[in-house]
Amino acid sequence: MAEDPQRNFRSAYYEKVGFRGVEEKKSLEILLKDNPLDVEKLSTFSQRFPLPSMYRIHVWKVLLGILPPHSDSHSLVGGYRREQYQDVLEALKVMRFVHMATPQTQVYLRMFQLESQVLPRRSDTSAPDEEDEDFLSIARAMEEIVEDPMDCYWLIKSFVNQFNNKFGDSIPHLPKSLEHYLSVEEPRLLNHLKNTGALAMLPYSLWFRRCFAGCLPESSLQRVWDKVISGSCKILVFVAMEILLSYKIVVMGTSRPEGVVSILCNVSDVIIIGSAGGLRLFSPFCLPITLICFSPLLPDAPREH
Amino acid sequence: MAKEQSNVSDLLPLLESSDLHELDQIKSVLNDHLGTERGSVLLNGLVDYYLETSSPQAILILCSVREPHDKHLLDKLNECMAKPACRLPTLTLLGHVIRKQPPWMHKITRFPLLTSLLKCLKTDSDVVVLITGVLVLITLLPVIPQAGKQHIYDFFDIFGRLASWSLKNPGHVHGVYLIHLHASVYSLFHRLYGMYPCNFVSYLRSHYSMKENVDTFEEVVKPMLGHVRIHPELVTGTNDYELDPSRWKRFEIHDIVIECAKVSLDPKEASCEEGYSSMPDRVTIHHHPHLRSGLDYTASPYTDFLSSFGSSASTPLSVGRPPLSLSLPQLPGTQSSLCSPHTSFHQNQHCEVDPAGNKVSMWSPCSDCGMTTPPTSRGISPANVPELSQSASHAPSQTASTSGGKCLSPAPTLSNEFEHLCSTPNTTNQLKQKPSGEEERGNPEVISKGAAGESVKTMSLTELSDFIKEQDLDIQRMENEHDEDAITEELLKLTEQKHKADRSFYSTTETLTGHQEKEMLLTTSNQSLNKEARRLVSTPDKSECSAGGGDQQLPWSFRPCFTPIDNLLTGFSTSQSPYRAEEEGGSGLANYGLFSSPSIFRDPVNPVYEPLFELALPRAASLFVGRKTSVALAQRAAGDEGERNASKGEEEGDEMAALSPLEVLDRLIQHGNEAYEKVLKRLPMPNKSVDWTHFGGTTPLDELHTLRSQVLLLHNQLLYERYKREQHAIRNRRLLRRIINATAMEEQNNSMKAQLKLQDIEIQSLQASLVEEQQRYRRLKEDGDTETACLHSQFQQLQQGHDLYLSKAQKLQSELQECQSNMGELEAELQKANNEAYNTGHQLTQLSLKLTNSENLQQQMYLLNKQLLLLGETNKLAIQEVQRLGPESSKGLQMLQSSMGKEQECLRQSMLQQTQGLEAAQQRIGDLEAQLAKKEHLILEQKLFLEEVKGQTKGQLQASESRYLAMRRVTQVLQTEMLQLYSQLDAEMLTTNQSLSESDTIEPSSAPPGTSRPNGSSSRTVPTAQGSSDRRTQAWPPGNGGTLPPGGGAQSTTSVTLNGSLKQPPLLSEMSPTHLAAFPLSLSPAGTPFTVGTYPSAKSFLGMHARELFCNKSDSQCDGDEDTQLSSLSHSLVVGEESSESTENVQSSPFPPPATGTPPHSLPAAAPPSQGSAQSALAQEPPPSDSQQLRAHHGQGARPRASAAAAARQRRKDLRIMDYNETQQEHI
Repeated sequence: MAEDPQRNFRSAYYEKVGFRGVEEKKSLEILLKDNPLDVEKLSTFSQRFPLPSMYRIHVWKVLLGILPPHSDSHSLVGGYRREQYQDVLEALKVMRFVHMATPQTQVYLRMFQLESQVLPRRSDTSAPDEEDEDFLSIARAMEEIVEDPMDCYWLIKSFVNQFNNKFGDSIPHLPKSLEHYLSVEEPRLLNHLKNTGALAMLPYSLWFRRCFAGCLPESSLQRVWDKVISGSCKILVFVAMEILLSYKIVVMGTSRPEGVVSILCNVSDVIIIGSAGGLRLFSPFCLPITLICFSPLLPDAPREH
Repeated sequence: MAKEQSNVSDLLPLLESSDLHELDQIKSVLNDHLGTERGSVLLNGLVDYYLETSSPQAILILCSVREPHDKHLLDKLNECMAKPACRLPTLTLLGHVIRKQPPWMHKITRFPLLTSLLKCLKTDSDVVVLITGVLVLITLLPVIPQAGKQHIYDFFDIFGRLASWSLKNPGHVHGVYLIHLHASVYSLFHRLYGMYPCNFVSYLRSHYSMKENVDTFEEVVKPMLGHVRIHPELVTGTNDYELDPSRWKRFEIHDIVIECAKVSLDPKEASCEEGYSSMPDRVTIHHHPHLRSGLDYTASPYTDFLSSFGSSASTPLSVGRPPLSLSLPQLPGTQSSLCSPHTSFHQNQHCEVDPAGNKVSMWSPCSDCGMTTPPTSRGISPANVPELSQSASHAPSQTASTSGGKCLSPAPTLSNEFEHLCSTPNTTNQLKQKPSGEEERGNPEVISKGAAGESVKTMSLTELSDFIKEQDLDIQRMENEHDEDAITEELLKLTEQKHKADRSFYSTTETLTGHQEKEMLLTTSNQSLNKEARRLVSTPDKSECSAGGGDQQLPWSFRPCFTPIDNLLTGFSTSQSPYRAEEEGGSGLANYGLFSSPSIFRDPVNPVYEPLFELALPRAASLFVGRKTSVALAQRAAGDEGERNASKGEEEGDEMAALSPLEVLDRLIQHGNEAYEKVLKRLPMPNKSVDWTHFGGTTPLDELHTLRSQVLLLHNQLLYERYKREQHAIRNRRLLRRIINATAMEEQNNSMKAQLKLQDIEIQSLQASLVEEQQRYRRLKEDGDTETACLHSQFQQLQQGHDLYLSKAQKLQSELQECQSNMGELEAELQKANNEAYNTGHQLTQLSLKLTNSENLQQQMYLLNKQLLLLGETNKLAIQEVQRLGPESSKGLQMLQSSMGKEQECLRQSMLQQTQGLEAAQQRIGDLEAQLAKKEHLILEQKLFLEEVKGQTKGQLQASESRYLAMRRVTQVLQTEMLQLYSQLDAEMLTTNQSLSESDTIEPSSAPPGTSRPNGSSSRTVPTAQGSSDRRTQAWPPGNGGTLPPGGGAQSTTSVTLNGSLKQPPLLSEMSPTHLAAFPLSLSPAGTPFTVGTYPSAKSFLGMHARELFCNKSDSQCDGDEDTQLSSLSHSLVVGEESSESTENVQSSPFPPPATGTPPHSLPAAAPPSQGSAQSALAQEPPPSDSQQLRAHHGQGARPRASAAAAARQRRKDLRIMDYNETQQEHI
């Protein structure tokens, strides 16, 4: 990327003065021009840089396998996907699982359930369990990000599938990892959390199961998800730690674990920004929204291939 | 105006006022009036006033009348002329006016006054009037020379009349008048002769050729002619030319006067200047009666001689003297007695002088000039002494004027007036001779004084006899008188010249002789003292003269006391003293009457220039004044003589003819003076007039009148003479200017000469230096020549030596060349010899080589001979052997050899062929290898392409697979839903039929659906029944499969699955049309497996695959699009997989895997415990395995399913590789 001759020679200076998104867009376009899309490169790019919003959906689709790497078959595959979606949706409609008034997220959930063969019978429709709640929250977040319902469904489904497939095993270890990093970065907070007993009560499911859906604002979430989709689940730990650090004073001020949880669950006004030394949280009113996570700084960043 | 006029006229009498201031005022008033007014009234009044009173003031005014009034004046005069009474004063006035010479005077010719004047002169008989008129005319003539054209004969007539008048005396006037008249006529004669000589001579000729006039000519005119010399105009001019007015234009008045004087020989009348040396002539004139013939001879040579000597100025006295002295004895004759003492005396004097001069050697230059000769020659008569001096001084003066200052010193010395000795020695370079000059001057002075005094006394007192008185004395007296005048005149001229010279000299040597001027000033201061003393001296002289009556002494005594004293006091005092003396004594001499009013005639004339003269040119002024004085004295003497003559009578008529009339007049005046003196002496009374009346009683009126008229005439004469003098003065001034110029030029000339001399000297020095330089140059040149000659010789010597050396060198060169040539020859010879030696050496070595060769050859020869011998022996032996063996062996050998060659050839050819083949093969191999590489490359490309396509298709397949899965899920869900619905229906039916438990156990789907469901159920039941029947009918293949589950392999399982799958479509197809319409999508895919399944049912998977592949290229039975084909293929694959999966699942499942035929039975058994009651009905359905699978999935999670999927995938991959290989092989 960097040695691409077509790149603007000024790119080196853009970063120095703080315009970080200028060159990434171009390099991303270059990447997207390859006929068989190099998924690995795309994922690396996505890990390193924040994706431009106009390409985000596309890249996500490719990374999640919704679209094949060959751009020639995109239309065909798109057609398949659409048909599939419509079929499933139609089936649900026929089966009267969904109707016009059903919220979209519910629809997505049913569809997912159908495809996952876990669709409950209509007769014994029970309250959604934990897993369904996770899905729903993710679907809600995604629904905000993506407009097209078909794409939205596919992204949700693929995201959830991939997340579960890839990190399903490592998710239970994430709290431990968080604890470890926290002990490195801010042992006092950790001690405080431990002492107050809030550590165990931290919203881990919110953070690690739902990938901060419903916790972070959309723009920040997109960036976090960029990393997640590109194959890194450690980002979740770092984001959580940053949240903790940025609300350290508040958290330290509260000894009740419930208060801590309530605080941490409403960090909508926090923006996560990655810097060279790690990840930092800043006030949203300071700087443009970016989150940069350098892969070398993510020692546990999983490399798929 | 008229009143004013009258007033002005009233002023006229006031002119006689004694108040000078008033007089001036009146004069100015009158002059102003005359200047402003044009009328003639005042003028006429003035004239009338004059005529009445003869006032001098009126004369002054009238004389200064200006232009517009001239006409009135002349008219008035003409008018007055008509009246005889006032003719005389008129003429007097006219004379005054003419003498004044106003600028308008030339106009008089146009007025009738001239005519009336001429007429008066022609007709009038009053002698006084005539004399006055003639004098006026004479004065007028030069003013109007051009008038002669009209009036010339009038003039001549007047002359003729008056000439005859003086002779015949028609009016019987007194002799004194006649003398005056004669003098006037004489002057007129001179004027006419001077102005119109040709006409006058012709007139004289014509007029006196007449007999009645012969007497007049003889008596009057002829003596006059004797006093003139021949006029040059008589030679060159004509009558007409004389009268030409243009002739007179270049003459001024005084020019004409002088012209007239020039031709005169009378010293009274003549002027002696400009080459008209009258002195020699005068000698002849003086001696004319006696010595005319003789002296003419002597005079002319003398003049020549003089002139010649004047120029040469080198003739000694001795040369000049002898001829003159020789001629002198012949001259005097009767006068020797009288003259001898004079001459002796004079000669003594001269002798005294000359020795003195000779002694002092100061006189030598003077004598050298030759100017002393005339005095000796004229020393005969004592009267000529001054003339001698005069002539002598005159000649040097002439020379002086030409030769410059050098001759100035001799001139005074010659004249015996040593006055110059005091001045000239100072100026000239004869400073050494100054003391001697002074000595000498002292001597003559004493001598002359003493001698003169004695001689005079002796002469006048002792030798005074009657005869002498009558003749000689008279002559002497006359001559003395004449001489005296001449002396004075000449003296003045001398002094003038001297002063000129002095002045010029002073001008040049002013810087040197500045002290001289001081001296002169001193002398002038002393002069006043001397003046009185001299006057004392002079007056006694005069008294002596008068008392002694010696006419001779007077000049003698007068002169010595006159000149020497002056000489003592330098020339300046001499010239000035008489004037002053006369002036001062003027009052004393008032008895003459002539001098009673000297200021009258002197002041108007002099004031103009006299002061200027005195200021600018003191010497010239004094000279002029002195001249005037002398004139006055002369006139006085003349007056005396006139009186004397008058008293003595007219006996001297004869003498008068010989004498000049002027001299006669002078003598007359002198006589009168003497007579008057005598009378005065006789009278004790100082008052003359009283004495006169008292002495002679009543004076007769006639006498008185005569005397008055005489005085008048004298006055006229005096005025005339004064007029002449003025003219002379004018001329003198001009001459003076000329002389000044000349002297200036001379000075310039001198300076230039000096410069020239300096330059000459310079030139000479330069020439000398040039000569010197030339000499030096010559010397240097000679030196150079000699040196060059020397060098030349040396050079030649060297050249010769060089030549010698050259020849030697040449000789040596030639020798050297010879030697060189010899050397070359020798060298050549040497080389030749060397060559020879080398050749011989070489030959020698060659020979030695040859020798060795020959030796070797000999040895070889020897060996060869030996060999030959041996060979010959062996040959012999071999021949024997051959002969022994025979000819067969050789033939076989030959054949063998030929066969071998052929064989070899064949082999060679074959080898060639083989090599060619090898090459071809190798080439082929190369080609093939290249082809192979190309193909490999192509294959690689194909592989890549295929990979790509595979990737692509894989993606698509995955998508479609997922879709399919989704579809399956959908159908499953739908089926479950359907089943649920059915169960519900059944339950409803059971509740209605109360056979809930039975229907729930066995065959729930066999018969009841068709009956229980009114709508659509019948149709559905039918297919199920059919399906079940089908399943029953086709039960053996699963049974087969079930019989051979472990070793059946894939083929069997697939068949099972195929069967299984085949089982479903009919089930679907057996669905009710409503169902089919509700699931159009699910129907269509269901249809395709059917066709697929039906067609290749009997064949294997590979075969089916291959067939599908071939269907891609060639036309197959399946006309469906690629999508369907692919889908069918994938379907088949998936189905295969699925079936295998299912089988595996079945096999791996913890439940005991039932045989294919049994699952429908076994499954329901398993289902009820897990799924409940509703599930039990489902378990009886043909797809229990599916439900079981689902359940297993659901129950056990994704884990076992995933592993199974992975295993299946692995296997499929293997298959795919196999397929790939197969297809590749096929493709290749």
